[in-house]
Amino acid sequence: MSDTLTPGPCSGPRSRVARRRRAVAGAALALLVAVTGCTNSQQERPGATDRTGDATPVAVTGPLCDVLPSGAEPGSPGSLVGQSPDQALTWIPVLTTFEAAVRATGMAEELSAAGGLTILAPTDDAFRAKFSTANLDHLLLKDTDTLRGLLKEHLAGGARSAAELVAAGSVTTLAGTTLAVTAAQPGARLGDRAETVCADYRAAGARIHVINKVLGNLPDTAHEEDNHH
Amino acid sequence: MFSALLAATLVATAVPGQAQGQPSAALQQAEPNQVQGLTVVQGDGYATLAWTRVEGATDYQIERTPLARDGTPGTPVIVGVWRPNRQVNNTEPTFADAGFAPGNGFQWRVRARFDTEAQPYSAPVSGTTRAHWGDPATPGESLRTQWEDTLGAQYTSDVNEYAYTAAIDQASDRVRVVEIGRTVQDRPINMLVIGYPKPPATPEAVAATNPLMVNCNVHGNEPGDREACLIMARQLAFTKDSKTLDLLSKTTMLIVPTLNGDGRAANTRGNSTGQDLNRDHSLIRQPETRSLAEMVRDYRPIAGYDGHEYGNTNAGDLPMLPPRHQNVAQGIFDESQEMIEGHMYGQGAKDGWWACPYGCTSNATVGLSEETILRNTLGLKNVVNSLLELRSSGGPTRPDESNTANNRRRKTYSALWTFTEFFKYHGANVKDITKARAEAITFQSANEGRIVFRGSRKIEAYPAPHPGEAPPPVDAPAPEQILEQPPCAYRLTEEQYHGERTDGPDGKRTTAAQRIAAHGWKVIKVADGYLVPLSQPQRGLIPLLLDERAVEGLVAGERVAPTLTGTRKGPLVVSGVACLDGATVRGPIQVQPGATLIVTGSSIDGPVNATGAAGVIMTDSTVKGPVLATGTQGPVVLVGNEVTGPVSVLSSKGVAPLVAGNTVNGPLTCTGNSPEPMNMEVANSVRGPNFGQCARL
Repeated sequence: MSDTLTPGPCSGPRSRVARRRRAVAGAALALLVAVTGCTNSQQERPGATDRTGDATPVAVTGPLCDVLPSGAEPGSPGSLVGQSPDQALTWIPVLTTFEAAVRATGMAEELSAAGGLTILAPTDDAFRAKFSTANLDHLLLKDTDTLRGLLKEHLAGGARSAAELVAAGSVTTLAGTTLAVTAAQPGARLGDRAETVCADYRAAGARIHVINKVLGNLPDTAHEEDNHH
Repeated sequence: MFSALLAATLVATAVPGQAQGQPSAALQQAEPNQVQGLTVVQGDGYATLAWTRVEGATDYQIERTPLARDGTPGTPVIVGVWRPNRQVNNTEPTFADAGFAPGNGFQWRVRARFDTEAQPYSAPVSGTTRAHWGDPATPGESLRTQWEDTLGAQYTSDVNEYAYTAAIDQASDRVRVVEIGRTVQDRPINMLVIGYPKPPATPEAVAATNPLMVNCNVHGNEPGDREACLIMARQLAFTKDSKTLDLLSKTTMLIVPTLNGDGRAANTRGNSTGQDLNRDHSLIRQPETRSLAEMVRDYRPIAGYDGHEYGNTNAGDLPMLPPRHQNVAQGIFDESQEMIEGHMYGQGAKDGWWACPYGCTSNATVGLSEETILRNTLGLKNVVNSLLELRSSGGPTRPDESNTANNRRRKTYSALWTFTEFFKYHGANVKDITKARAEAITFQSANEGRIVFRGSRKIEAYPAPHPGEAPPPVDAPAPEQILEQPPCAYRLTEEQYHGERTDGPDGKRTTAAQRIAAHGWKVIKVADGYLVPLSQPQRGLIPLLLDERAVEGLVAGERVAPTLTGTRKGPLVVSGVACLDGATVRGPIQVQPGATLIVTGSSIDGPVNATGAAGVIMTDSTVKGPVLATGTQGPVVLVGNEVTGPVSVLSSKGVAPLVAGNTVNGPLTCTGNSPEPMNMEVANSVRGPNFGQCARL
């Protein structure tokens, strides 16, 4: 699915709807709204209005975008444009593990690096498929050095869109790993391993691409899961 | 609401014909196998669909279509699959649709399937879902959590929780927020104490109202229940519903939104040290679990729920489980099961929520007997209670939950439904619960029967149709987990009792003595250490921490065997420690100053007189003659005795005497005790006057 957008003028709810080819049958149409980015200030969400006040049209791409906040909803792509990367991460609801890892390692400020940053952020499902809960707790609480190394596998200098990554053909992470980048439908495939599932979130000085696999070389531990109630 | 509106608009324009692809079923005659009689009733965050069963249907699909304000339909989505294992009566199928943003308008249809063959849809039913609870224009009611404000994009932060609960406290006389402790990282652990017109002023006064508790967040990465708790607190604080207020006027609701604040902030299961707090409720190495134990000791809830989330996609919406450890009193297990199977299964079938036994999928090795788990710990403390799990993912029966907000809302509103039903159940069954509790306290204090270190009561499969696939694992105790003859008490050395420990977080470590005190056990200081008698209400828990064979013990205490089990003719003078178990004494008992008397299951012909004793414990015994304990230095425990003659507890020091569940054929007199005697809400039957501090016991 390759998405194009044509943000409409913000004159009223109906005119805000961008046109786009519908490629995902039966999926929520919320994404369509995501590309509009107009704020509807009369909504009954007092806490949300200030966060969406400077909403800007942002086109995010990928199958997961359909199920993430969109339009005037808190956390929509448009509402994150002016926010620092660490703040923007708190609004993308599938990134709670990644976001917690950023805080646990004290890397929030590093995400606002001069020259911009590309953030390849694995979903919570990706973390669950990789690590057991005990392993994840250990990383978050006791082994933040290793966790920091893992996060660096997901960061690259320069705020680059998925299309730019594909055009470059590879990307070298802050950990020094070079990943081949190929086009995927839609978005980018990284190191023959992960794909973007909702690419091209824009935060201040950063691009955030939500990806479906954890990168780096830490061992898989998800099969050791033994935690219950 | 906004996105649904726009999405609907777009479908009507950009994809013409799709929404109108089916002719309106309402205008048609009933087709063969078409679902009839669909109704939709709105609840808080969910809508209950009910319909007439179609003969031969193997399952049903539930379709939801957003409606714009002008009624224009959006894209239909299959949001639910009804399967026969989701409710205990298949004759009246129901489904709680949830996940939608509260306040939006929708249209629902249901169709049967014969294997994979879809039958015609029912006529549509449209409705507007309930908005976030509370009038936005009414102070107090207008409060919202961060989670509500962000439409589920963010969970409520610690700081937002403190502000929100403080605002409720400020705006409502019914709510008092108390800090029951602090986390390792010094976050406050708050509890909302809720009563009508206002909550009783002290823990002791709350305990007298048969309170109920909800523990909302013990695993920091399982936040769904906590959001429900915060919403429920607002509802209870500001509702005008007369039934709710009536219930609140008779009891006190205790809500602990975030026991594991550090783990919630870090998004970890464990606390900041990595300790799984739901494996620490007996050992209470951590300040969080110790705070909760002290709360339970002081507020004495009679019933509880413990909220979690669970990763098995094939489980029910709401796996639940009673305290199964075999040391839990039968009545507490039975009442907990009655709450789950007798109420939640049935009410779930009515409201469309799928409650099932935890471990209800085949081969699940969960839901066992660890006393470290709050479910079991509370049961061992005679609290009727259940685990609650919220299935983490939508799974095959809720196919629209790749949407994170939808998923979060379904979980939280299913928890809200459960806690609300729990509150109602408690109110309707308080007599049965308190009766079971009183019997359990009496039973445990009698120290009768074997001790099991690990091993569960069996959960029988619910009569078909089962909610779920299979009952939880049997988890019977292995022979080496059974101690047939319980000791009379455990003796701890000074080092064991007061010595520094190595478990627990740096700077916040506690001694065995502090932990035993947090549980609220009675301890007798004797010449060569400390005695923890088993003849007390938490008898089932004590060996699990103090016996040498305990699986996760605290210290290996010395088992103290009974000193007298047969018949003694003539007077008994006690110096040192005497433990009578199943004994008969034909004569008076005189306890010397500094001596200890422990009597259980015995018969005494003659007066019992203790002056200045180290401790006087008498349970499940018959005494013909007066019982007098004066100036006891340590605990006095009189539980479940039948005494023909006056009973007097005078001038005890240091520990509140426990006088509960006795039948006294004569006067009961308590004076000069500090602290005052208590009965743990287990009344004594006194056929004579009650004097002094025992006047209301």
